[in-house]
Amino acid sequence: MNNKVLVIGGGPAGLTAAQTLASDNEEVVLVERGDTLGGMARELTCKGISECRNCGVCFAIDRAAEIIRMPGVEVMLRSEVVSIDKKEDGFRAKIRSSPRYVTKSCIGCDKCSQVCPVDGKAIFAPCGSGHPRTHWIERGKCLHFRKQKCEKCAEVCPTNAINYDDRVKNVSRNISSVILATGLDPIDAREIPRLGYGHITDVVSSVDAERILNEKGRMVRPSDGTSPKKIAVIQCVGSRNEKTGVEYCSKFCCKYGTKIAQLIIEGDPDTDLDFYFMDLRTLYEPQDDFKKWANDMKRKVEKKKVPRVRLIRSMPSQAFLGDDGRIWLRTSDETDSEITETPYDLVILSVGMRPRAPPDLLARSLDLAMDGCGFVRCENPKEGARVIVLGAASEPMDIEETVTRAMAAAADVARKGGSA
Amino acid sequence: MKRRIQVVICRVCSGAANVLDVEKLLRVANEAPYVGSAIAVNYACNAKTIAQIVEEAKSREVDRMLIIPCSKSDVSPALFQAYKKKAKINEFLMETVDLVGEIVLPHRDNPARAQAKAESKLLAAITRMAMLEPLQKSSEKMRTKNVVIIGAGVAGVEAARQATQAGMHTILIEKSDKEVKAPGVVMPKTRLVSAKGHAGNFILTIEAGEKRETLECAAVVIASGGDWSDAKGPLVQACGAKPLYRLVQEIGEGIISREGVVIVDTPDPKADITSAQDFAWEDAIQSAIEIRKKSPETEVYLLFQEMRALGLDELSYRDAADLGVRFVRYDKKRPPHADPKDKSKIVVIDSVQGQTLSIPYGGVYYASIAPNPDNVSISEALRIPMTESGGLRRGSMQKGPIATPRPGVLVCGSAQFPRSENISRLEGRAAGALAAQLVSTGIVEFGGSVAEVTPDKCSACLTCVRTCPFEAPFIGNAGKAEIQLQLCQGCGMCVGICPSKAIELHNYTDDQLSTETASYIGGDF
Amino acid sequence: MAEREPKVVGYCCEKHGIECVNLAARSGKQYDASIRLVRVPCTGRVDGMHILRALEDGADAVFVLGCLEKNCYYDTGSIEGRKRVDYVKSMLSQVGIEPERVEMFNASSSMAWKFPEIVSTMTDVAKRLGPIEPRGDRQ
Repeated sequence: MNNKVLVIGGGPAGLTAAQTLASDNEEVVLVERGDTLGGMARELTCKGISECRNCGVCFAIDRAAEIIRMPGVEVMLRSEVVSIDKKEDGFRAKIRSSPRYVTKSCIGCDKCSQVCPVDGKAIFAPCGSGHPRTHWIERGKCLHFRKQKCEKCAEVCPTNAINYDDRVKNVSRNISSVILATGLDPIDAREIPRLGYGHITDVVSSVDAERILNEKGRMVRPSDGTSPKKIAVIQCVGSRNEKTGVEYCSKFCCKYGTKIAQLIIEGDPDTDLDFYFMDLRTLYEPQDDFKKWANDMKRKVEKKKVPRVRLIRSMPSQAFLGDDGRIWLRTSDETDSEITETPYDLVILSVGMRPRAPPDLLARSLDLAMDGCGFVRCENPKEGARVIVLGAASEPMDIEETVTRAMAAAADVARKGGSA
Repeated sequence: MKRRIQVVICRVCSGAANVLDVEKLLRVANEAPYVGSAIAVNYACNAKTIAQIVEEAKSREVDRMLIIPCSKSDVSPALFQAYKKKAKINEFLMETVDLVGEIVLPHRDNPARAQAKAESKLLAAITRMAMLEPLQKSSEKMRTKNVVIIGAGVAGVEAARQATQAGMHTILIEKSDKEVKAPGVVMPKTRLVSAKGHAGNFILTIEAGEKRETLECAAVVIASGGDWSDAKGPLVQACGAKPLYRLVQEIGEGIISREGVVIVDTPDPKADITSAQDFAWEDAIQSAIEIRKKSPETEVYLLFQEMRALGLDELSYRDAADLGVRFVRYDKKRPPHADPKDKSKIVVIDSVQGQTLSIPYGGVYYASIAPNPDNVSISEALRIPMTESGGLRRGSMQKGPIATPRPGVLVCGSAQFPRSENISRLEGRAAGALAAQLVSTGIVEFGGSVAEVTPDKCSACLTCVRTCPFEAPFIGNAGKAEIQLQLCQGCGMCVGICPSKAIELHNYTDDQLSTETASYIGGDF
Repeated sequence: MAEREPKVVGYCCEKHGIECVNLAARSGKQYDASIRLVRVPCTGRVDGMHILRALEDGADAVFVLGCLEKNCYYDTGSIEGRKRVDYVKSMLSQVGIEPERVEMFNASSSMAWKFPEIVSTMTDVAKRLGPIEPRGDRQ
């Protein structure tokens, strides 16, 4: 009867499922690969300035903060499920946790990171805005584990939270059901070299843009830290393409692309923006809303109203660095009849997503299958295990849909009870 | 009341980073008025320490406690439990001060100022603590395990199924007399008239046929969906355009026109805001594929402003194109219209190619869902705000995607904004599950830090009644405002706006807030 | 102390407001110590009187921090809060006190950058304008 529900992945899907289960008095083991909870949402920015834009990021962050203090939820960070085996009374999951070298006493004062002598630091604050905020040490970089025996961080730590004796832990848990929510990997924009990502500094992916906005609250050029005056946002980079990237639509890019555009434009009155898109697929709002907003954004130049946002239905063919140091985009118009070149200070590529495949051994022990696009399917799990695939591992979806799905699925699991 | 405060400082956390001098803080606390005991402990969350703190509380006869941990979230609930049970301290007389989050971490580069600020903060907190009143929470039993679901569409039926499986009694209210396959009670030809009560114990008035009845329930799920009956727009008048679900039905019955099928995104392409679509394209593309497969000679046209083939529907979009479905993007300024000379044709200008197409059709369908006009009466009955586009507005994202601002009322499916069948079903399941979770406790808790009216000061100006988003204040029999405790969420909005200052929020009274502020301002740092 | 430090009072809501402060602290952000945070359940609780009383008691500037509008836990609380702040601002300008001394901000729980920025905005205002002079000394 004391079998728990195993949740693999601490992103919006896993967190919501774990929270729903725990409020139904189920015991949950939450296994997360990263250093803190929150998944992709950790590095995404809130898209509101003074008014909420319904991006759903805060929902995931709030759940992360909530789950670490919920009784009945065992959170394992920097951990991976190695295998799941059938036992007489359910299943046994083997979980491997990498050492963190920092205990829970860490209060996040960041002194350790300041004294760390390693170039690029070996002790880090957890990524983005996730919870818990416990630091961790990367063994490969840390001098303590080399000849030097450096202990600078331990000396300075006010709560004695550094523990160099931390070791890899292998634990097993009896479980009844598995919720698989391994989430997604953003598409690497280097796969589309013609748009300049990787070799032009000020061509950033939307993931980078979100990170910059989340850290600084405003958009800056990575090259010189100045705020860009003219920005291009290019949608569908890596999505909806049979040759490069993926053939499906990643669903959430129009949602976040338009919201980032709104955030930048409304946050900085000096910025202009061109929005390149193929089809506008904003979620949960009338299709004209964004167009209307773009149309209303005007600036007064010599008594005339000039649009600040242009919506251009086209996919730029190439990005190149001009002699003036700006980024030029070559575009054809909608009917392919004319080719124009336009300079920008910053180009944001809205990249799509690929499902993140679960580790091989786990996939084999649960008999998971991948469909043609790599999405995880589990139609006939081995030996009657109850496996539910949630979140973007199962289909492209945004945070809101992920959350709704997770609530519904977790209720199913909870009702069928711990012992399968 | 004796007003003796125990101050507990967690030495490990607050002394962290050697910013603060804990001993000095203790001295400051000990010298402050009303303080009966001030101790510093290592690890306040430890079971042994908790016993020690409780012992100290008992022997010093304190009646309130101020704990200074790492942050509010890090205080073990066990400590509060022990205080409540063993030291018999009222739960509203225990407060935390987050010295670490507010002072140690952000001011660690300036220990002198941090120390002065911490002392001042501590004194302000003690000042506040001394003014707090013990409060009691009350509870009442839910009278029923009923979950009322409004609308027997895809979402509603799914919600009923989910809630029934979780052991709730579901009552499905449907305005039409269509056949509904759902567990629980189904009431056809019924609509919601009004609602009273609060989460856990609602009393609804419904109209079943001619009869009015009252219905008790613990939670309400709104699944009113979109409206299919009353579409307007030039395409409906000129071409008899029908909603998409009719096409799905016709395909199911094997009726497929050979003269061609046109699916257009909206029956009113010129409208200011095309408020529909979104997920509806999923169903549109699937239908188009099915027609081409079942009747290859039927031409299928999809006319749209934006092709919203979301997610994996993109693959169906491609399949549909391979099967010969014709996709035509049109511009809003040049919308599709019936051919004035030959009404059996639709004229549209392809905005990509620039060509003018004249399409003969056997049937025209639109992939949009208009908001349900019943939303107005539902919103009035349950008092839930509406969106600009005529849907029901959900509450803060902090409460999740399917919760309305009103506790105990959930909204799913196209009632918010047009959804495809799949997403509606999904939201229905989530709403059913959430409603069941809400009801399964069987108890409604209320009271505590809530608002209270001083009748003598009240001038019955109705400002509070208008301001409260939960409709807790009402004008009682005495002609003065009263607060219905079960509805009050303790936000204090009515308190701040009351022109006569007749309402107070317990433990956040004007006096308490101003005195705390004054004390904090008084500190020099 | 050589230089007088400004005094800024912040009324902060218990939901996303305080979460935003917490996240900032735990992300290693540093900001000026002049801020005095007072918690309220919701910014709708803040009354114009509290702000005025704080100014009277010696605060150089007052701000109110709540959830984003439309994302307020109590639905309309932060909108109410803004109305009250706007009202106080108009009242201040009538009596000849700079309305910039009072400001409303919104934040969400994932905005680590926002709180330090609010603090620097408000302390700058407080430093620039200095203490509120007694009325007799003004023109």
